[in-house]
Amino acid sequence: MRFFPASRKNRQIPFLCTLVLASLLTACASAPLPPTESLNAARDTIARAEQADARQYAGAELEEARAQLVMAEKAVAGESMTEADQLAKQSRVAARLAMARTEAAKAAEINREMGRGADALDVEMGRQGEQK
Amino acid sequence: MNSLLRVTKPLGGKAVPIILLSSLLLTACATAPETPPAAMDVRQKLTELQRNPEMASNARIELRDAETAVELAEQPVNNDESALAKHRVYMADRMVEIARATATTRQMEAERERMGEERDASRLAARTLEADAARADADTARSSEMAAAAMSAKAAEEMQRQIDELEAEATERGLVLTLGDVLFATGSAALQGGSNRNLEKLVDFLNSYPDRDVLIEGHTDNVGSAQFNQTLSLQRAESVHRYLTDHGVQSRRLTVSGLGLESPVASNESATGRQQNRRVEVVIEN
Repeated sequence: MRFFPASRKNRQIPFLCTLVLASLLTACASAPLPPTESLNAARDTIARAEQADARQYAGAELEEARAQLVMAEKAVAGESMTEADQLAKQSRVAARLAMARTEAAKAAEINREMGRGADALDVEMGRQGEQK
Repeated sequence: MNSLLRVTKPLGGKAVPIILLSSLLLTACATAPETPPAAMDVRQKLTELQRNPEMASNARIELRDAETAVELAEQPVNNDESALAKHRVYMADRMVEIARATATTRQMEAERERMGEERDASRLAARTLEADAARADADTARSSEMAAAAMSAKAAEEMQRQIDELEAEATERGLVLTLGDVLFATGSAALQGGSNRNLEKLVDFLNSYPDRDVLIEGHTDNVGSAQFNQTLSLQRAESVHRYLTDHGVQSRRLTVSGLGLESPVASNESATGRQQNRRVEVVIEN
């Protein structure tokens, strides 16, 4: 009678250890849910970049964002959720970069236009100066 | 007590390797930590931006976010986590580029503002220049007007002087210069020889004012027939005409007429009166 509980304990301990180990190991692995939030954020940012004329001003960056999103969706289909989340986040940051570069390009364009206007004014002034 | 030892001993003998194994497995997640080399490149780009004061001031928030991302990318990771490392480096790199693009945009906007101010300044300068030019023009115009006025005043003065010299009389018809009959021999239309001051002065005057036309009228007293007097008066007027054209006055400016005895200026009763009536009037039209 005295041995029975001890022997039962003896068999339980490795089992418990394995359980703890398994849970610890799975903590290092991916969560099984699809990264919906990251994916939506990426899609939303791509849409905003497109609205800001990124296709015209930062086409490569926008393409990259789209490609990352496609890869993220593939990862979701393959149930590699961690990878999917990372790809979705990369897609979003690429879309943000597309937007930022679009704005910079637009700003540069406006400045060039203004520069031309100022030059024309200078020419005008120069002519007036010569007339005098 | 003895039984307890017997129980714990086999347990201890099995537990030690298990714990050792599990701890080994756990540390596998943390051992061999290494900063991804690509993160260093990103760090370099970020440092470059942070050191550029214009860039740094224009994209503070973006640079701070990039800093966080780069710090994360720099976290040492295990060899089996290269995907995570790659992801973090990618994120950090794009964040740095976003910061750069944002700073560039802000810089352009600041520049635009400055350009706008410069343009306003240029416009102002242009307007000032225009205004100055207009003022200068007005000044020039005024001064030339004044000069013209001064000149015309001077000219008028000069003309008056010459008129005075001619001893001409200003009338409604113009300046009337009366050449007395002393110029002519009695009954003759020929001008007396020798110089005649009055005619010389008339030539000077007409040459000074070439735009003035002249009417030359011959007059006589009532001695003799009207026909004779008329012819004589015309011939005398023509003599003056000839004198003037000989001295450079264009003949198209001159009109000659013989009025005979029709327009006496004094009574023909007396010798003095008759003498006054025998004359050639030169009318210089206004």
